[in-house]
Formats: sequence, structure tokens, C-alpha cells
Amino acid sequence: MDIVASNRINEKVLLMGNEAIARGAIEAGVEVISAYPGTPSSEIVETLAEISNDFEYYVEWSMNEKIAFEVAAGASLIGARSLVAMKNAGLNVAMDTFMTLPYTGIKGGMVVVVADDPGAHYSSNEQDTRFAAVYAEIPCLEPASQQEAKEMTKEAFEISEALELPVFLRSVTRLSHASGDVILGEIKKPLKKIGFNKHWKIPYRWNVYGPPGAVSKHRWLHRQMEKSKNIIEKSKFNTFTLPKNTDMGIIASGLGLSYAAEAIFILGLEEKLAFFKLGFANPLPEEKLREFLKGIKKLIVIEEGDPVIERQVRSFAQENFPGINIFGKEIKQILNPYGELNVDYVAKGISKAIGLQMKEDQERINIKKEIQKKVSPRSSTLCAGCPHLGTYWAVKKALQDRKGVHIVNGDIGCYEQGGYGVFSHTINPTEDNSKSYPISSPYEILDTIYVMGSGIGMAMGQSQVGYKDGKILAVAGDSTFFHATLPAIVNAVYTKADITYLVLDNSWTCMTGHQPNPTTGINITGEKTKVINISKIAEMMGITCIRIVDPYKVEESIQAIQEALDFTGPSLVVLRGECALQVQRREKHKNPQTFIDRDKCTGCKQCLRLGCPAITFDNENKIAGIDSLLCVDCGLCNQICSFGAITLKKGNNDV
Amino acid sequence: MFNMIIAGVGGQGSILASHIFADAAIRASVTNGDNDIKVRLGETFGAAMRGGSVASHVKIGSDVFSPLVPEDKSDVVLGLEPLEALRVGVKYIAPGGMAIINIRKYESVDVKTGQAEYPSISDIVSSFKKLNANVITFDATEIAIKAGTAKAMNVVMLGALAACPKNPVPRKILEEVIKDRVPPQTIEVNLKAFESGFNKVSEDLRR
Repeated sequence: MDIVASNRINEKVLLMGNEAIARGAIEAGVEVISAYPGTPSSEIVETLAEISNDFEYYVEWSMNEKIAFEVAAGASLIGARSLVAMKNAGLNVAMDTFMTLPYTGIKGGMVVVVADDPGAHYSSNEQDTRFAAVYAEIPCLEPASQQEAKEMTKEAFEISEALELPVFLRSVTRLSHASGDVILGEIKKPLKKIGFNKHWKIPYRWNVYGPPGAVSKHRWLHRQMEKSKNIIEKSKFNTFTLPKNTDMGIIASGLGLSYAAEAIFILGLEEKLAFFKLGFANPLPEEKLREFLKGIKKLIVIEEGDPVIERQVRSFAQENFPGINIFGKEIKQILNPYGELNVDYVAKGISKAIGLQMKEDQERINIKKEIQKKVSPRSSTLCAGCPHLGTYWAVKKALQDRKGVHIVNGDIGCYEQGGYGVFSHTINPTEDNSKSYPISSPYEILDTIYVMGSGIGMAMGQSQVGYKDGKILAVAGDSTFFHATLPAIVNAVYTKADITYLVLDNSWTCMTGHQPNPTTGINITGEKTKVINISKIAEMMGITCIRIVDPYKVEESIQAIQEALDFTGPSLVVLRGECALQVQRREKHKNPQTFIDRDKCTGCKQCLRLGCPAITFDNENKIAGIDSLLCVDCGLCNQICSFGAITLKKGNNDV
Repeated sequence: MFNMIIAGVGGQGSILASHIFADAAIRASVTNGDNDIKVRLGETFGAAMRGGSVASHVKIGSDVFSPLVPEDKSDVVLGLEPLEALRVGVKYIAPGGMAIINIRKYESVDVKTGQAEYPSISDIVSSFKKLNANVITFDATEIAIKAGTAKAMNVVMLGALAACPKNPVPRKILEEVIKDRVPPQTIEVNLKAFESGFNKVSEDLRR
């Protein structure tokens, strides 16, 4: 992290894509930075927070992406350079302001960094947010390397100020979370030219309703985007090579470009293919394209995500070069419009388009198939001693005692693990498998999972339509409580929805890397803040049945949940236990004192149903065990063993 | 070009190990004046904070652009956990490549709940041999414990890698980066772990 703040100009260093973007912002003299954490984007702002003492900028974790976007926009309107970062789904939350801000534009450079997640490694979907840049009619840069990530961030501030528009920088997981060599540039001091001018260049500049009105401001936006074409034509990020006597070419952008470059090398086609490196997904550099496409008959478009560039190129070619055959993710399909790219896949796609036969070693393929059968899956789990293990055990027990088909509406965060079946990745989405789901797992509590805060909203719909076959629950974490569920709670009270909302409060925003939030007591830079009380907020909003319980106390948790379930109307249970990893990091390491009494253990495997990764099982001797490297002595398993075979020996073995 | 994948389970320190190695590769290229050399480090890890499969792809060379190693092109698979070594190896190990594997198992929830079987170490070794790869196996966790802490297993593995003839990064630079990147109070333990791993594999290779 320190290296991101380094003054050693021209030094070649290893930076993660997100660190490179952070460095680019510092080199551009950024003044305001805001975000809500979201993998794979979180490290951009986390990095800037960690080194904030060395700089003059303001940095915050906002309550959600819309607020983060507005914080950056507000600062920009009065002249500050601002950066807001979010993940793909985060943009959906910010969308309202995002779509309207371009009508007035901004004053200080504003860069909107969105990290997409092709392959859905950490996300509910694979949405390609470059569409949003096209939709909002703002320039979109797409880096292909860590070095470019830094350079483009800097450039984005310049373009933003030149056009008076926010500029979109689209990253992806494989850029944000990958590292590469980056040459450090000079750090710029913030200009600090803050001032408010209500009628800056245009009457009622910062008021879309103010005269001359939204349509004329929309027209202004179109004019600015026309102007942007001059900048984009000249940009060093749009370049191409045109070997003589070729009528085949590739246009590639972002990570697609990096794979295409290697694939061309592997296939030995450097001299045979024209290659356009496109740094902007919006707008297209039409003059450069015209020059590039002149002699091209076969064109391959390679991009990570949806066919955003392909569609624009196709529409441009249709007008100007109607005879070109365009291969990509739709129509002449050589790559799927879902999942993520890699070098082998892109090489296969290129071969298919140009009719090249790739050699395949059938014997090796067969050997691999045989070996693959031995590679057993490693399903993801909650951590050893996680408070959610206690919560989910209590939910299971509380519901077991009540007959019916209960619906537990989930949410995303660490606790989404409560919706995974073991082997989940090896089950095909077929109707047969839906009838006889073949696996039983400790992690099968959540019935629906979509996005942040969606569980409570859906629970209300189920309640209001009169679902009486079972109880209706929703879960969400502490950070989600503030991010996305506050209006929903008011909604539940106002409409008298009969639902039980469980807040899984572990005091940190854990899934994205343990960022602090209003329940933690510190802010982004570690400064002490007021702890905002979840149950009091719920009470003030009108929920009358509220229980607060420690999820490490199994019986009490079951009872609290049951009381909430028996209440008619909206009820809320706060299950408050700090993240076990954070506790471990703070406290001195001790050898665990949780033991299995071998005489008492009957081998019933009840403890395995807890889903704690520290509990092992010796299949030969039919006896449970505790992994001393993982166990944190949380005390959950000894409460659930019916035979008293798991004991906590207090006071000895301290290390 | 040199390609390597470090495979392990979340929490074992494979990400730190890959950053140490990639950082050292950059420093080595600067020391040698190889301005064309590029380094890429791509990481894949699932949703879990701990206990999930983690694979870090490291690529060094002048024609490196993307963060992922192509299939059958990994010169070295550094396996911090045996099943994870196989998971990565079956797809990526190059014919003639080298797998260096810590034999300490980290059983998955699937295996623990009896719904999947953990392959035997001899099965794993013979699988790599069938793929025309060389294999070195040893208990790196045990060596790390002897050096002072089980947590230094990742650095034991880096030491093991340093002893492998395919490794392109000088041992001295690796040690320098370890000093810079591990918590200050653990430098001594980590350097000891590195040396123990180095010596273990050097001996095995001499035999």
C-alpha cells in the first residue's frame, strides 16, 4: 500500500489494478473520494484511505453507492476533482443520479470507476456496465493493463474537465484484482479551486428543471459528446497496427485486448492480422476506424462482457463498409455472450473465425478427463466460529418446531453462504435435478438470494398476497441494514406486513474485506465515530416486536427467533456477534480448548450439521474431531452436541 | 516466458506468496536492466473469506499481456495444499513442468460430510506423472512449525521454489522482498522458513 504513495517517480513497481487506479487518482490531484465497498472494486478506496495521512484529499465509505456518487458529484459541481468507485451492481443503486448528472455536467474532474465481474466471481450477475456509459451518454475508458489503469484514470480527469462531463472508467475483476508492473508518475497537488457559481457558463447550470429546461440540457450533452470525438480521435489509447496485404483484423478492448494479444502470438498471426487496440468503449474513434477498416473483409471483435463495442462497430460498418463480415458475441458468434474470456478461449474463437485448425492432443485430453474425476470439489463455507453459524443453527431449529413450508429470503454478504448447497457448482440446472435435489448440506437455509436488501422487500410481497403455508423471513447484515433496508422497514410497518426480519450484525462489512460501518465505531481512516444502534432505529420506525440476542447463545437465539415468528406483524431480531476473524486478529492467539470426549462421541454427525470448518470427522473410527489450527473456541458446537461429547476446558493450555 | 500457479486454500497465504514472487520478479528485471520484461499476477478466489480454493497465476516475460496462464503452460505448480495442486495442475501444468506440493491436507466440507472423496497423495503424484510433469512432495507445514510457526508454510514453499532449477528469480531478491513484505516481527521466522524449504528441496533434488 505504501508504494502507492511513493515519491519515487519512474520506478517500476508491482501494483494491483485497483491500486493503480488509486495511484492514478493521486497523480491527478484528486480531492474527494467516495465509495460503498464492493468486490472487486473495494481496494481502490481502501488504498486511498490507508495512505490518506500523506495527502490532503477527503475519503469516505458512504452508506450506499448512490450516496457515494452524489458526494463525489456535489464536490465536483463546486470545482473539486472527485472519484467514486463501485462494483457493477453498485452502479444500479447509483443509477438515478448517474443518469441525470450528465445533463448539467460537472466542473471539477469527476471519474466514475465501475468494476465489472465477468464470470460472476463475486457478484449476483455479470452485467456489463459499459452499456450504462452509452446509456448516460458519457465517455467510457477501458484499461487493458495495470499501467493503463493508472494512465487512464489520470486521463479521465483531464477529459472530464475538458468536456465538463463525468467520465466512466470500466474495470473488470481480472484487472482490478490482478497485479502488474507499473511505472510511477509524478504526484500532483490538488488545485483547491473550490467555489460555487449558480449560472456557470449556462443559466441555472446545476438545476435540470431550471430554465432553459431538461431538453435543452440534454441537447447540450449531445453537443459535448460531439466535441468528445476530437479528443477520442487523438487519444493515445486508441491505436492500431495494419500489416500489408491483410484483409483480416481484430478490434479488442480492455482485458479482451490482453487475451487477444497473447492469442495472436500463440497462433503466430502477428503478421497476418490487423489489430486495433481500442481504449474507449464510448464513443468510437470513427476516423481511425475508417482508416483501419478500409481493406478489411473479416473483422473479429473481442471484448470482456457483452457485445457493447461489437454493436457500435457493426452499426458503423453497416453505414460505411457494408461488406465486412463481423465476428464476435452475436450474429456470427465465435465467443459466448456470457462467462469470461481467457487466452485459450480467445485463441479458439479467432481460429474459428479465420478457419484455422488448432492442434489438439487427444491422448492428453483423455488423461485429463480421467484425472478430473479425482478432483473433488471444495464448496465454500462460513469461517470457523462465525457468528452466522449460530444464527443459522437457531433459524433451522426455530423453523423445525413450526410446521409448514417456510420462506427465508436471503441477501448478499458472507451470510449468503447460508444458501449454498454443498457441490453446488457440480449440479446442472435441469428440471430433473430440480425434482430430486441430490445433496443435503449444512448450508441450506436461504431460499431466495438476489441483491442487497431484496429479501425484505420480497418477504413483504409474499406476506401481502396471503401466503399462509409457513413463516416468512428475511435476513440481511449490518451494512446492508443501512445500505438498502431502511425504507423497506418503514414499508413493512406502514403496510402491516407479517414478516420477521433477522439482522445478522457482526459489526463489520466483512464479505468485501472488513470495512468499518456505522455499527463498528470507527470510520474509514480509523477515527472513532458514534455507533448507530440498529434496534433503536427499528423501534423509531415503528417495529414493536424487537429482540436482541447473541448468536453464540444457541437456546436464547432459538427462543428470540421463535418469539418474533409468533408475533403477527413486522418483527425484527438483531443477532449481534462480532466477526470471528476480526476478534482473532485483535486478540492474542491461544491454542483452542475445545475437545471431543472420545468416550461420549457416538459418531452421530450432528455437530457436522453446524457447518463449522473446524469440525472434522474420522470416518474409520466414526468419531468427530476439532481442527486445532482453525478452532476459535466460539462454544457453538458444545451447545449443539446432544451427548455432551464436546467440552470447553477453560483456563489451561494458554500459549 | 515463465508461468507459475500457486494453488492453495484461502487463509494459507498463497496470495502473499504470489505477491512476494511477482514483486521479486520485477525487482530482478530492474536489476538486470530488462526493460521489456513484464510481470502479471492474476488471482482467482471464490466467495469465501477462508477455506475456498485460491489460485494465483504469475507470468513473467516480454510477451506477457494477460493475467491468466493458458492451459498446459504452467512451468511450475506450487501447491500449498495437495488437492488444490491437483485441481490447478490437471488443467495448467505444462508437459515437462514441475509440481512442488505440500502434502498437508486441508479437507473440504464436502469430504468432511462424506459427500466427496479426497484423493490419496500417491494418486495425486501419479496424476502429475501421467501429465508428464515432475513432482516434489514434502510436509511444508511441518517444516514451517519447526521454523517457528505453521503460518510460514507459504514462505517454506517459496524457499522450495527457489531451489527448483526452473525458478527464474534469484534467491537473494526473493529474500529481500520477504523482508519487505512480511510483518516486521516475523522476518526472522520467515527467513528461517524460506531457508528450510530451500534446503529440503535442494537435498531432494540432489538425490
